[in-house]
Amino acid sequence: MSPVIEVAHLTKRYRETVAVDDVSFVVEKDTIYGLLGRNGAGKTTIMSILTAQNFATSGEVRVFGESPYENAHVLSRMCFVRESQKYPDDATAAHALRIARLFYPNWDQDLADRLVEDFQLPLTRRIKKLSRGQLSAVGVIIGLASRAEITFFDEPYLGLDAVARQLFYDRLIADYSEHPRTIVLSSHLIDEVAALLGHVIVVDRGRVLLDESAEELRERATTVLGDTATVDRFLSGRDVIHRESLGRVTSATVLGALSPLERRELADAGLELAAVPLQQLVVRLTLHAADTETREVVR
Amino acid sequence: MNRTLAVARMQLVNKQTFIWVPLLIIAGAFVVSWLIYFIITSAMGDAPARGQGFNGASQAALWYFLVIGVQAMSLTFPFSQAMSVTRRTFYLGTGLLAAGTGAVLATLYTLLAVPELATGGWGVGSYMFAVPWVTDGAWYEGWLFFFAVTLLVFVLGFWVATIYKRFGSAVLTTLLMGLALAIVALIALVTWQGWWGNVGAWFAAQTPLTMALWMLALTVALGISSYGTLRRATP
Repeated sequence: MSPVIEVAHLTKRYRETVAVDDVSFVVEKDTIYGLLGRNGAGKTTIMSILTAQNFATSGEVRVFGESPYENAHVLSRMCFVRESQKYPDDATAAHALRIARLFYPNWDQDLADRLVEDFQLPLTRRIKKLSRGQLSAVGVIIGLASRAEITFFDEPYLGLDAVARQLFYDRLIADYSEHPRTIVLSSHLIDEVAALLGHVIVVDRGRVLLDESAEELRERATTVLGDTATVDRFLSGRDVIHRESLGRVTSATVLGALSPLERRELADAGLELAAVPLQQLVVRLTLHAADTETREVVR
Repeated sequence: MNRTLAVARMQLVNKQTFIWVPLLIIAGAFVVSWLIYFIITSAMGDAPARGQGFNGASQAALWYFLVIGVQAMSLTFPFSQAMSVTRRTFYLGTGLLAAGTGAVLATLYTLLAVPELATGGWGVGSYMFAVPWVTDGAWYEGWLFFFAVTLLVFVLGFWVATIYKRFGSAVLTTLLMGLALAIVALIALVTWQGWWGNVGAWFAAQTPLTMALWMLALTVALGISSYGTLRRATP
């Protein structure tokens, strides 16, 4: 595997807050990454620093093995349209797409035209008069049609209706299979994007909580359901991230892969096993981390 | 170089901003001042001479260039970042475009001064392009003067916008206040030292050409300062 992005001990401090706190990770080539986390977790800041739109307080970022800052060679291979992207005054969507065509060497005009039709984007209306969804569509179209080697999508679905969102996911996966490239998709609608992702990075309060392939993640946690006493016996000594009881039935989510032997034993004991949806896992882990931190602080 | 030209084209992609609005302003200023001089001429029975006939309308377009300078930074810079353009390329491309626009405007003024003089101020003594003193020398002196003024105004807007973009409104306001105080201090100094005679003599000794060069020097200074600020600006 060859990493296209390497981040080491990245920290971004604003006057009073730490937006990104000693973050390290790598991004492999031609994979779809989910950069997941709550609003304000530091997703946009991380992507801004990777594309040299913002500056790190400390730490190091390498893209294609080089520092991206003022590096035209590196930057021209990346595309990052932010969620709150500003456009030139009085510019229309047609203007924005025409400009993007000038700057992205792999720009696909046919794809852009098709997407404009798909999203029913009014080309001649001024961007500042577009609806939130149409504004998002401009960014999505630029991101997809740029075919940049590394493309960042920053909460690309804001204001898009369910149909348009599905359209984006479908077009993304279709174009990705034809033209594999590295995609970083920041999102808090985890269930919607879960199926697209090959790798997941979860950030919370500026820190990386989780950095694993989607495959590993599926085995990462299991939910067991059954008689409370039996479940509790199974839980002892395990890392429990969630537990809830209703009468004599308890459901608990535990971290760590289960061996086939363990699975058989559990089934024999009458417990049901279920995979944990990505969204559940992320929510549980995030709350779990917050909980642990609070306990540490109290201690 | 390719991407630098692309930045210039990016600034130009909406033709309204850089071409049609300035032309409209110039045309509008021309028509309004012509009408005023038409009234004066008909009331006096004769067109005013060129010295009295300069109507000052040529500066109308300049104010717009101040605005364009601000917008080139405040609105187009964030978009250039989304286009993965380095700050250096953005700066060079925008500078190239500003110089190009200044050259076009200077050429337009220089050319229009010819029929203006030939027709005695478009028949009514309305002089907009053949600005007294500025266009009295060789044609290229006037041309350079118009070019320098346009560029200076643009860079001034750009300079203010870079400071705003990087440091925010508090720092910008403080800086502008500081500058105003520095100018007042300078005036005080000149007054108390009784140097006004020398200052007047210095200005009298300037030609349109030397004034243009002074303005270009100031433009370069502001341009370098803008670049230093821009290098660490975020969209």
